This record gives sequence, structure tokens and C-alpha cells, in this order.
Amino acid sequence: MFRLKVNRRYGDVIVLCLLLLGIQQLSSAALIQAKARLAPLLIEKAWEQTLRSGAPAVKPWPWADTWPVGRLRVEALDVDLLVLEGDSGNALAFGPGRALPSAELGSGGTAVIGGHRDTHFAFLQQLRKGHLLQLQLASGESLEYQVQALRIVDASQVQLPVNTAVEALLLITCYPFDALRAGGPLRYVVTVLPKDAKLTI
Amino acid sequence: MAYKIFFYHCYARDARLFGSTPLWLAFRYMSGPLLGSILLLLLSAAPAGALPSETLDEPGLNEVGSGHLLMRDEVSGHSMPAVVQRSKVHFDVSGMIATVRVEQTFRNDTDRYLEGVYVFPLPDDAAVRYLEMQSGDRRIVGVIQEKAEAKKIYQAAKKAGKKASLVEQQRPNLFTNRIANIGPGEEVTVRMDYVQAVEYSNDVFSLRFPMTITPRYMPGTLVSDAEEVEEGETLVVDNYLGWARPTDQVPDANAISPLLHRLTRSDYTPLNPIEITAKLDMGMPLASVESPYHDIALSRRTGVYSISLVSGVSEMDRDFVLNWQPVSGVAPQAAVFTEKVGDEYYALLMVVPPAAKRMAASIPREIIFVVDTSGSMGGVSIEQARSSVSTALGRLRPQDYFNIIEFNSDYRALYRTSMPASRHHIQRAQEFVRLLDASGGTEMLPALRAALPRDKGLYQETAALRQVIFITDGAVGNETELLQELSSNLGDSRLFTVGIGSSPNSWFMRKAAQFGRGTHTHIGDVNGVEQKMAALFEQLARPAAVDFTVDWSAPVDAWPRRIPDLYQGQLLAVVANVGLTLPQGEITVRGRVKGRPWEQHLQLSVGSDAENAGGHPGVASLWARRKIAGLLDEKIAGRDEVAVRAEVLPLALTHQLLSPYTSFVAVEEVISGPAEESIDSKAVPNTAPRGQSPQSYAYPRTATTGPAKVWFGVLCLFVALLVRLLRQPEVDHVPAKSE
Repeated sequence: MFRLKVNRRYGDVIVLCLLLLGIQQLSSAALIQAKARLAPLLIEKAWEQTLRSGAPAVKPWPWADTWPVGRLRVEALDVDLLVLEGDSGNALAFGPGRALPSAELGSGGTAVIGGHRDTHFAFLQQLRKGHLLQLQLASGESLEYQVQALRIVDASQVQLPVNTAVEALLLITCYPFDALRAGGPLRYVVTVLPKDAKLTI
Repeated sequence: MAYKIFFYHCYARDARLFGSTPLWLAFRYMSGPLLGSILLLLLSAAPAGALPSETLDEPGLNEVGSGHLLMRDEVSGHSMPAVVQRSKVHFDVSGMIATVRVEQTFRNDTDRYLEGVYVFPLPDDAAVRYLEMQSGDRRIVGVIQEKAEAKKIYQAAKKAGKKASLVEQQRPNLFTNRIANIGPGEEVTVRMDYVQAVEYSNDVFSLRFPMTITPRYMPGTLVSDAEEVEEGETLVVDNYLGWARPTDQVPDANAISPLLHRLTRSDYTPLNPIEITAKLDMGMPLASVESPYHDIALSRRTGVYSISLVSGVSEMDRDFVLNWQPVSGVAPQAAVFTEKVGDEYYALLMVVPPAAKRMAASIPREIIFVVDTSGSMGGVSIEQARSSVSTALGRLRPQDYFNIIEFNSDYRALYRTSMPASRHHIQRAQEFVRLLDASGGTEMLPALRAALPRDKGLYQETAALRQVIFITDGAVGNETELLQELSSNLGDSRLFTVGIGSSPNSWFMRKAAQFGRGTHTHIGDVNGVEQKMAALFEQLARPAAVDFTVDWSAPVDAWPRRIPDLYQGQLLAVVANVGLTLPQGEITVRGRVKGRPWEQHLQLSVGSDAENAGGHPGVASLWARRKIAGLLDEKIAGRDEVAVRAEVLPLALTHQLLSPYTSFVAVEEVISGPAEESIDSKAVPNTAPRGQSPQSYAYPRTATTGPAKVWFGVLCLFVALLVRLLRQPEVDHVPAKSE
């Protein structure tokens, strides 16, 4: 039988190094998932406080640089997410985030919400035209939206159309959903309009 | 058992390796279940390895709309645009007049015939008077036509397969160039000439050349039939391929919202390269020539300065500014330049009024800061804005009143009414400014209304002067509406605009200051804030010189009709059509400076012959351009558009100038493209303004490294397992077996 002709001592070191590296990689992947799943518990508390007190920005933990600004529900898919402020990596690790240059939720403009394809926004692939979404604002007000279009765009070619006064939500995540590599150029964009919108865009 | 024995055997060595027994034990016990789970993970992670390229056509995704609705793109694999552009600009400055040649070369990198659509900025007072198109070695001189007529000519040429170029004015500082039938791999060059007056303020001459367009906010609600851009033949020419769609407040949003390159590069590997050269012939010795945002190389030969970029080319991501200063004392305080075109003489008159004294310290002022905190201000712009307000706050005097209004989609004031500039209030304001952040839309009108209260009750009664400092990049599409508001509701307030960022909307800033009867300042760099704000506060602290009139001693058609109030360091400039002969008498400029009457007498070069008097080319174009601007201002102030158009159109046609009602069109007679076939239009993207927050208009990064980590981690463990398995037989020989 074939035998590995490596000095046994070095062989053991290699095995151990590989083990270490493997464990490190797996545990950091687990950490990403854990952060994504556990943070909402704290954010939930902050959101309840926001709704109760009407304070605009309640941080879920003292050193957080983001805070919940809305609650997104899709009953059909049993999705219930808190939307955070900002779509930087820091915020997206804990929940979907509103892109800062876009309009504020419920302000009548186009708000852009980004989320990680492998955690919070994985459900976007199950979303279909006509699905209903509920968005609860910090004021407690609840708005009803409907999925209007699903499309794939090349983010290296086009910009976010945030500079318009069209009332809409754009839910954005990376595409393809099961790609291995992060940082690809394609994005999956779900256009969501108010349920009673007459205009189609 | 061999498994255990192996590890026991290794312990003696590995404990040394790890340094402590507990650490080794941890690994010994952890590795068991981990190795066991490897296979499980391998199975579960396998689908993650699927190649992304195949999934695009996956049947499950057929529901994904393929329409070009919100984003007009076709998910193509191209990483570069189909039509690319490079530019060249040369400034020829003689005295107070700059003649500028802009050259745009378009290259089609595809294998089809294409139409390129390029939206580009020019200085807002540029009198564009010449167009030429070159393809290969054939040059075609463009002609000026009424806008609709030019469009028709262009469209016919495009359809017939002829090369053509159509240059239209969308805003005084924003133009579109369409180039039809650029062949595969071909280059088409479009040259434009324009004339502009050199800026002169506080002893510094300057020129500004914008190169890109900060994405503008389009307020209003969508016009619903805007979706008809499909393949309708007649509408093709109206599709400017912009990212925005027409709204009720900005009906031409599509034409003024060019796409931007997503990437940003340096000056050394530019996406939209530009070559900049200049020749300065001022007829006087200069103390300094500098360009704040570019590195320039300067050479001097018999009093004429030549300027070029040190790096040869630059990225078109910020304004080019050239400032030069004469040796102190040599700058004239008054000058007249004349030109003869046809039978008529034109004259440009420039006078620097004497400086006024500062106002008495006891006169309190009310200063309102209006700060734009919209998404387009993200990045360096908001820093400049913060720094500007913060610097300005430090310059307030205790007897002044102040307030700060920030606006994006909504506006928010620091105080309900203006507060005295006490230490406490200033401190609170500084904190407010420090926390300003850029996000959201640019609803400028409500903020402007709040800063210019129509109700006198809201004023601080004791304040003698109400000065509004408006700090913004002007990235809005509804400029006219805002100017109308200013022109009708200014009241006793004065508006001073401060333009922020790499590529501000200078036309809007200048016009807003004009209608607001104040001044405009450009700040393009945080380092310049201190100096620029100091100059602005000098202007705020001194009363303006008012009531200017020019007596030409003959009937002339002079523009601007009403000379604006002049602040510290500002220049009085009037252009006139003086008719068939030069006036023989004296020109008298009168005004009130420091509250007292002031006059200055000037002599036209009477003695010189007509040839000499016609020696300043460009004055006639400047006059026509100034008159068009003046007439369009009257439209903003409420004059009927039909009447304005009836005056502007013949003027623009006679003087061969681009205007809102005229366009340049150049058509090659040779048919080179596929006739009777509709060709694709491709947008030629602009470069993103330098320093603008990279996230502003970019998609969020929405993938974690999780899947990759799982994959790699599993791979490591798998290889570890493999290595160990392959080594196992060797382990069997270990004597410890007899344990």
C-alpha cells in the first residue's frame, strides 16, 4: 500500500496545522451564523424600546454602530426581520440594513435594503411576484407592500437608482445565492411597491 | 484502537510542541468528533461549490423579470462600456477672455455600429459657438439649428447610416453629445469651441472647468407614461439613457442623469482620460499661477505662460481650476475690450469698485446656515460642509444671531428661531454640526422656504441684516423651481451659496447667489475651507456697493440690464452691443460705495482705428451669451416663455450659440453605417466624482465569507484526515500496541 514518505514528525505537525486551520475556518463560519442568529434577540429588545419610547435610535448594545429602523415581515414565507440602519459590513452581520444614501423607510422615496444572501436575505430566492410584505416603522405605523419585480443586475455596471422620489423598497442581496466566493458583481434585486401603488416601475 | 494508540504515541512529542498538556488534550478530544463530521459537512457543503455561471439560466429563475425597468441594463458580461471617451481641452486666455477648445474622442469597442450618448458638463457661462466632427481624416463643420430641427436632421442621418453628431444644451452647464453610426473599432472626434469671461475676484483671476456630474436628485412624482422607451422609432432620439426617469418637477430627468463608472481609478490609469493645456497671455507680470486640484507644469516665454498637466492626462473626476494672480499693483482697476463683428461693435466693460469699510461692530446680523446633508454629499463633501459651518460658527460675533438648518429628504433646524451667538449656543451648534451625516434625498425647496420666512414675525427684529449661507453641492434636477422661489420670496434676506465637493452644480450655485443678491464661493477641498470662509465673512461683514449704472453716452443694448450689488472684491462686468460706431464720449460708471455716491470715467479707445478696436475676439459671443442668460433669467422671474423664446432663438442663431432652443448638428455626407436599420444606443459613462463616498450609489456587499470558510475549513480537515489515513499502517508498527 502507498505510504506517505514524510518524516513522521513533520507529518504530525502538518496534520495538526491542517486541523487547526480547519477548525479556525469552521468556527469563524459558525461565528458568522451565530452573530446573524443571536444578534436579533438583542435588536428585538432595542426595537421594542423604540416603539415604546419613540426614541429614534436605540442601540441594541452599547457599542453598536447601528440600530433598528423597521420591521419587515413576509407572512407567506414566515419571515420576520428587523431592518438596521446602514448597509456596511458591520451592520449587515447582524441584520439587513438600509443603505444610507437611499431614502428613509416610509419617507416616500426609494429605500434600499441590503442583506446577506446566506443569512437574513436567503429567503429572497423564495420570494415571488405578488407576495405581500409588511413594514413596521419606528413610529409604530405599519405599511403594506407587494413584490413587483425580481431581477438580476450587474453591480459593476449600474448604480443604485436611489435618487428618485418613487416610493419603493429595493431588497438587495448577492447573486447567485449559492456561490462560494463573496464579492461577486451580480445582485438580486427585489422591487417592492406599496400595495395600492397605481404606478408600475 | 490504532487511532488512540497513534495519539498516545504522539503525545510525548506533541505535548512538547504545544507546550502544555491541557492544550494537547483539547485537540485530542476535539479532533474525534470533528473528523467524524467531516464527511457530513462535505456532503452538505457540496452544492455550495456549484458554479455561479450556470445558474443564470436556471429554469427556476424564469420568473425573474428581464425588463429594463428600474435599471436599464442587460446583465451583460462586459466589464467595460461599449463606447469609451477621452477628452482634450485647451484654454487660450487673452486678457479677460478665454477661448476654449474641447475635444471628445469616442471609440466603439464592439463589432456592431453604435450610437454613443455622452452627457458632459461645461462652465455655466460658456458660449459654445463652434462644432466640428472628425472621422478618419474627414472633418465636418457643424451648423446651428433650432432644437427640433437639429434633432430631425440628426435622426435622418442616423437612419441613413451617416455619421452625425448632435450637441444639445440641457442646462446652461450640462450638455449631451450624440454620435451616430460609430463603426466597429472606429473613432469619432467631436470638437467644440466656447468663449467665456475670466473670473476676477479679490485680485485673483480664475477659470473653472467641470468634468463630471454629481448624480442629481430628482424631486417630484414619476410621470407615468415614461416607460414608453421601448423600441418606438420616434422616441429613440429622446432616450438619453439616463438612470432617472421623468418626474413632474424634472421632466427631463432622463437627459441629465448620466451613468457613472462604478470603478474609480487614479490619474495614472484613468477611465475617462483628459489632457489639459492652457496658454495665459495677460499682458502683465504674474505673481503666481496655481491649480488647486491638479499638478501642473508651468513654462514662461516672453510673458506668455504655458500650462500642462504634470502627469499628461488626468481622470475626469473633479473640476479643473486655474488661479493666477498679477504682481500686486499692476492689475488695472477698469478696462474695456471691444470687438467688431459684421458692422456692429461690442464692448466688455470691467470695473473694480473700491473696497468698503467693515460695518460698525454694533450692527447685529442674523446668519442662517442651510446645510445639504443628502446622499450625494456623502464622502469628502460632508466633511467639507461640516468644516465650513464649524469654521463659520467660530467667526460669529456675540451680538449676532444664528441658526442652522440641515436638509435631505426633510429639513431640521437646530433652533426654532435664531439664537444669539453666545458661547453656550455656539457649543451646542458645534455638536449639532459634528453629528451631521449624509443620507437621503435632496428636498431643497422646503428648506429654502424655511430659511427665507415670508412672515416677518420670524425675524430677529433687532438684526439689521439677514444673511443665509447655503452650503450644498447643488445636485438637484429642479433648479428652475428653486430659482423661482428665490426670485419671488427673497424679501430682505441675502443668499450666499457655498459650493461643496469635487463636482458641484456651479450654474445653480451662481444663479442662486444672483437671485439671492449675494455671492457664491467654491470649496473643493477641506484644506481650503479656512481661507474661503474667511473671504466669505469679509464679504458678509462689509456692506455691498449698490445702485450701479453705466452711462455709455449713446444708446446701447447692455447686459445685465440691472447691475447686481457688489460685495468685497467683486468685479462689475457689463457687455454691450454699442451699435454701428464706437461711442465717442466718455463712459461713466456710477454707484453707491460705503453709502456715498461713487463714479468712474472711462474712455473707449477713440483714437484707434476700427481694426484695432475690433481686436478682442469673443466679446460679441460673450454679449450674446450674457443676453441669452439675461432673457432666461426674466423667464425665471415670471416672463412668458413664448416671448423669451422669440427673443433668444434669433439671437442664438445669428451668433451661432448653443442655447435651450438651439443645437449644433454635424452630418457626414458619406454613408458609412448600415442604412435603414436601427442601431443600438450606448451610454458613455462619466467618472464618479472624486472622494464621493464609495457606497453612495453602489450596491451593498451582501455576501458573507461564511460559505467560503466552511468550504476551506472542510477541505483542511479532509486533507488532514487523508494524510492521517495514509500514514496509518506505519502507526501499526509502534510497540506501544502491547499496552
